[in-house]
Amino acid sequence: MLLYTIRRTAQMLVVVLCVVTLVFLLLRIAAGDPARLMNAPDAPDDVIEATRERLGLDEPIYIQYLYFLRDLLGGDLGQSFQGSYSVAQVVFAALPNTAMLAAVTVLVSTVIALALGIGAALTRGSWLDRSVQVYVAFAQSIPSFWLAVVLVLVFAVQLGWLPAVDFTGPSSFVLPVATMAVALTPILIRTIRQSFIETLQQDYIRAARARGIAQRKILLVHTLKVASLPLVTLIGLQSGMILAGSYVVENIFNWPGIGKLAVDALTSRNFPMVQGAVLIAAVTFVLVNFVVDMLYTTLDPRIRLKGAS
Amino acid sequence: MRGKLKWSTGIATVALVITACSANEVPGENDADDQGGDAGDSNDTSGDDSVRFLIAENFWADWVPYQSTAQSQARLNVHIYDTLLQFPSGELDQPVPSLATEWEQVDATTWEFTLREDVTFHDGTPLDAEDVKASIELASGATGAETVLQTRWVPTTGEVVDDHTVRLVTEEPFASLLNAVRQTPIVSSEDIEAGQDTMAQEPNGTGPFTLVEESETKKTMEANEDYWNGPPEIGELVWEFVADPQTRVSALLAGQADAIDRVPAEQHATIEDEDGFSLVSATASEQVNLWSIPDREPMWDESPELRRAVMLAIDRPALVDSLVMGESVTADSFAPETTLHHTSGSPSYEQDLDEARQLVQEAGAEGLEFELWVASGFLPRAEQVGEAIAANLNEVGLNVRVVPSDVAGLVDDSNSESGTGLLYHLSWSSGGDPDAALGIYATPNRWTAGDETIDQLVAEGKTTTDPQQRAAVYDELQAYLWDELPHIPLYYSDFTVAYSDRVRDLRVLPNYETDFYPASIGE
Repeated sequence: MLLYTIRRTAQMLVVVLCVVTLVFLLLRIAAGDPARLMNAPDAPDDVIEATRERLGLDEPIYIQYLYFLRDLLGGDLGQSFQGSYSVAQVVFAALPNTAMLAAVTVLVSTVIALALGIGAALTRGSWLDRSVQVYVAFAQSIPSFWLAVVLVLVFAVQLGWLPAVDFTGPSSFVLPVATMAVALTPILIRTIRQSFIETLQQDYIRAARARGIAQRKILLVHTLKVASLPLVTLIGLQSGMILAGSYVVENIFNWPGIGKLAVDALTSRNFPMVQGAVLIAAVTFVLVNFVVDMLYTTLDPRIRLKGAS
Repeated sequence: MRGKLKWSTGIATVALVITACSANEVPGENDADDQGGDAGDSNDTSGDDSVRFLIAENFWADWVPYQSTAQSQARLNVHIYDTLLQFPSGELDQPVPSLATEWEQVDATTWEFTLREDVTFHDGTPLDAEDVKASIELASGATGAETVLQTRWVPTTGEVVDDHTVRLVTEEPFASLLNAVRQTPIVSSEDIEAGQDTMAQEPNGTGPFTLVEESETKKTMEANEDYWNGPPEIGELVWEFVADPQTRVSALLAGQADAIDRVPAEQHATIEDEDGFSLVSATASEQVNLWSIPDREPMWDESPELRRAVMLAIDRPALVDSLVMGESVTADSFAPETTLHHTSGSPSYEQDLDEARQLVQEAGAEGLEFELWVASGFLPRAEQVGEAIAANLNEVGLNVRVVPSDVAGLVDDSNSESGTGLLYHLSWSSGGDPDAALGIYATPNRWTAGDETIDQLVAEGKTTTDPQQRAAVYDELQAYLWDELPHIPLYYSDFTVAYSDRVRDLRVLPNYETDFYPASIGE
């Protein structure tokens, strides 16, 4: 297990390094000149050059990159181009907000998906099964940004039940989580339904029934445990989608998380802030997948991780 | 039963953790001093004296004075800093006292200002003539240090007559001095001496509000209880960048914001129909052009026929009436109609597709391919405007591709030597002063090709102090630009702010200043 953990950690570091390097280069090559953006169109060249110098953009890109790596190894994500904020402080202040939004979304989506997926699997062909499949098709076809606006107009503006924007308390979770859950639940429901149907047809389930084990115990202990394996895999894979989705949802709901931070920083070409936000998102993504891999062995002892002792 | 209990317990535990976290978490908020903050009440607009204003433009610039013309920064500055004079009506011939109580022109290049005696900076230092001298000399470029604001000035030195009297001596006669004074915040001479880093960290003005917290996208100000003109009624003023127009509108209508700017035209009726909300506009004050970049397409630079064809091909009134939904006025000059000495150009360039087609042929530009860049999320319905223009131009034989971008991407492509666009849909706001409005077309601006006539007339307008002669100069300059068409003037755009009725006497000026002093609040 130790060997496996070391190997995975090395892989994760390589992935994160590739991501931040790519973002670093793309910003410098394709995102333009922040110094020009920060100054008036008729600003003298000396002023532009002084701004570049102040931002550290007057050095060749490879020198900037070396400075970036040196600072990163020292735990320093740099200073914001606007003001003199520490990128690390701003990013780590935003991270819990995104993490909470993602966690609640996964929790709510999983509960809904388990209820609807199991219900549909146990009643194949019934009105419930058909209704669930209609919901799946419907939810898959709704764009998140449209749903978010509609939810805000109905529940915040018209009815006044919930906040339209910001993170001001537990009620603030309702609309963004609903928006993201509608995007996430279809694939979870389909996976759980299919997994349950296949598991219920296994010989050991039939044997359990033949031995007179209660239906509830068969479902909760034998079937659910096996069927949860693809669910966990899927949530790990979907963590990328959840992070990406949070970029859209956070901006619509003015949610002070990593997604909004990154988009706002990009609009002002605040390179260090974009790099910091992407770095933290990449680390989060690989860690979630690492945890998912670890969960496999717990859920199914037959699985041995390659390289584990 | 035990299974159900476990699930319920698990969910309740997670909910409790979330609730606990949500009460204490920091939503990207940073105290100016310790980068800390508190989310619990950061967005609460229900406080009796707190006002939250959501704006469409990010805070590009920092607090270093005179180094930015960003609208967002200028609007913040007027709440932190004072200037010698104010123009609350927006009319440039109606200055009122601010830090200066009296002023007079001594000779062609000398103005004398008498300062108020009861003014202190936020750090408690009294204002005196040395502060005015240091501020104006730095801003105008007289110290040798390059500043962005110096393009609005001619180099100007200060002479301290006594503690509260200062003379400003311009290098040559300067017609826009009073307007330049209006745009120049007065900074403490000690701060200027301490350098840019000090000024960037702690904005220290004499204005009605003090900065108490700031983050990348949010600035929180508190009332300056010692303000010389009386403390503001608004105790806390929060400025926050929110890019999405729909989010701004939703926040306002849901009561989570007190004011929002750049309200999309299609939302005006919705807001007006709701009880408790109002709209206020600065009408037709922003010059929206298709700006061209020199040397991108030789044919554009060299062929007046091609430029004229483009002007004649575009149905500009239709853009105003249909796409921008009447929140603009069709341009009849290169300076908005609210500009001093504005004159209407002739001919009116009404759409004439046949003539445009013929001019394209005469220019040998049939099938000419080029890019038209538009920035979404800033000017109203920019992408639709761009598509309509491209359709017009393609109809007369050109081959135009619309490139949607964000503002930063558009500005960058226009700046870059490897930029691929020829025309850019952008605006320029100038607040009514003809030098600010028309100086943008002169060297060294990057949009210009170094036209000597334009450069000469802009310089002449700046230094001609006789009103009639100055009007004649600007008349000639506008006529020349209208004939040459170095860019394509489209319309003068409105700037609209929506606000809840708990904010009273909010003032929006033609230069987009949104003044929360002396506004008041009440339920």
